[in-house]
Amino acid sequence: MDEMRTDRRNVLTVTQLNTCIKTLIEGADFLRSVYIKGEISNFTNHYKTGHFYFTLKDEGSLLKAVMFRASASKLPFVPENGMKVVVHGRISAFVRDGQYQLYADDMEPDGIGSLYFAFEQLKKKLEAEGLFAESRKKPLPKIPTRIGIITSPTGAAIRDMINIIGRRFPYAKILLYPALVQGSDAPPQLIAGIQYFNAARNVDVVIIGRGGGSIEDLWAFNDEGLARCIAASDLPVISAVGHETDFTICDFVADRRAPTPSAAAELAVPETAELKRKINNIVGRMELLLGRQIEQRRQAVRYFSGARVLSAPAAMLDDRRMNLVYLSEKLDRAVQVKMNACRADLAQRAVKLDALNPLAIFGRGYSAAFAENGELLSRVDQLEIGQPITLRLSDGEAQANVTALTPLPKT
Amino acid sequence: MTENQTTQSFETALARLEEIVRALEVGQAPLDTSLSLFEEGISLVKLCNRRLDEAEQKIKLLQAAPDGSMTETDFGGPKA
Repeated sequence: MDEMRTDRRNVLTVTQLNTCIKTLIEGADFLRSVYIKGEISNFTNHYKTGHFYFTLKDEGSLLKAVMFRASASKLPFVPENGMKVVVHGRISAFVRDGQYQLYADDMEPDGIGSLYFAFEQLKKKLEAEGLFAESRKKPLPKIPTRIGIITSPTGAAIRDMINIIGRRFPYAKILLYPALVQGSDAPPQLIAGIQYFNAARNVDVVIIGRGGGSIEDLWAFNDEGLARCIAASDLPVISAVGHETDFTICDFVADRRAPTPSAAAELAVPETAELKRKINNIVGRMELLLGRQIEQRRQAVRYFSGARVLSAPAAMLDDRRMNLVYLSEKLDRAVQVKMNACRADLAQRAVKLDALNPLAIFGRGYSAAFAENGELLSRVDQLEIGQPITLRLSDGEAQANVTALTPLPKT
Repeated sequence: MTENQTTQSFETALARLEEIVRALEVGQAPLDTSLSLFEEGISLVKLCNRRLDEAEQKIKLLQAAPDGSMTETDFGGPKA
C-alpha cells in the first residue's frame, strides 16, 4: 500500500480502488462470519426480488446491510424498523457504490427467540383480521357420532384420543387422517386433512393436534396457511397441540382449544352413561307432557259436564219457559204503549182536522150561496136580479131569488 | 316405524325422539296421536339405549388411493 501511495505514476481508477478495498476486506478471515447486534432502520422488503435492504444502527454508528431472498425467505418472521436484532453474515464492499456492507444470511430478534417473535407477529396479524373473534367460533355438536382426527398415526396423541373416546363414547366412529405433525412438510398435510373432511362431510367434528414437544416441534401448528384453513372450515375444529402450557396459532383460530389431545377427546364426545341418563329423562318428560294433555282434556270434560243443560235438563226447560213468559209479557206491554201513543196522536189530529172543516163554519152563522148549476157564488157580478139561488146553511138549504145587487165600493 | 327399528341408527332414533318431544310440547295433536307418539318415544328410548350398549369402537385410517380418493381401512391404533 505504501508503494502505491508514493508511486505517482501508478494512478488508480475508482473501480480499481474499490475493488482493491473489497479484496482487502474479503481477505480478513474474521469478517467472513460475524454476528452484529443493532437496531433495524430503513427496512425495505423488495417485493419483486424478495431481498431485504436495511440499516443496522446503534447509538454511535450505522451499517448498511442486505439479505438476499434465499436467506430472507427462510426467516420465520418479517423484520421491522426499530427491532433489535442479532444478524449473522459477512462483510464485503459493493464496488459500484464504494460502500462496504453486511451481507446477512440469518437474523434473530435480540433477547427473544425468532420463533417466538414470528409467533407474536402472526398472532397480532390474524387477530387484527378478526380470525380469533369469539363470534366466528362454531359450537361443537352435542352428540357427535363421527370424529375426524388429523394427527400422526404413530404418536401418543392418537393413542390417548382413541382410548378416551372408546371409554367415554364408543358409539362414535373415529376417522383418522394421518399427517406429519412436525417439520416443513407438516403444514400442507394438516391443511389437506382439514380440506378433506370439509369436502367429504363424513365427520361431525374435527380434532387437529399432536403431543407435546419443543417450540420447534410444534411449529407446524403456527403456520399461517393452516390457521387460515382452520378459520375457513365449516366443520367445527378442536385444536389440541402439545401440553397445557403450549399455545399455538391453531389454538386461537380453532373453534375450541383443548389443552391436550386427551382433553380434546373428552371435550368432543359425551359420556355414554351421562347421555343414557339424559335420554332416559326424555321418558319422564314425555310422561309429563302427555299427562298434562290428558289433564287438559279431563278439565274440559269437567267443565262441560258441570253445565246445567247436562246436569238438569228439566230445570233448563223451566228456565226457558220462564223466559218465554217474561218475553211475551214484555211484548204485550210494548204493544199497549205503542197503541196508546197512536190513539193520542189520532185524537190530536182529529181536533186539528175539525178546525179546518169548511162545513163547521156554518154552525157559527155563516152560509154559502150556489147558482142553479151548483157554482159557488162569491161575487155580485156573478148574479142578476131575479136569479134563483140556493143558500146552504148549517142544517139544510133554502131557495131564494136575488132582489137587489149592491156592490161594495172598491177599496 | 317399528319395522325399521331393527336397523334404525342411534342418530335417527335420537332425532325422531326430539321431534316427538317437540310435538308433545306443542300439544296440538289429538289425544290418540299423542298417545301413539308417546309409545313410539318409549320404544325409541329403548332403542337408543340398546344402540349405545351394543356400540363397538370403530377406528378407520384414511388412506389415499391411487386415483386420489380416500379409502377407509381398519386402524388398530399405534404400536405402543
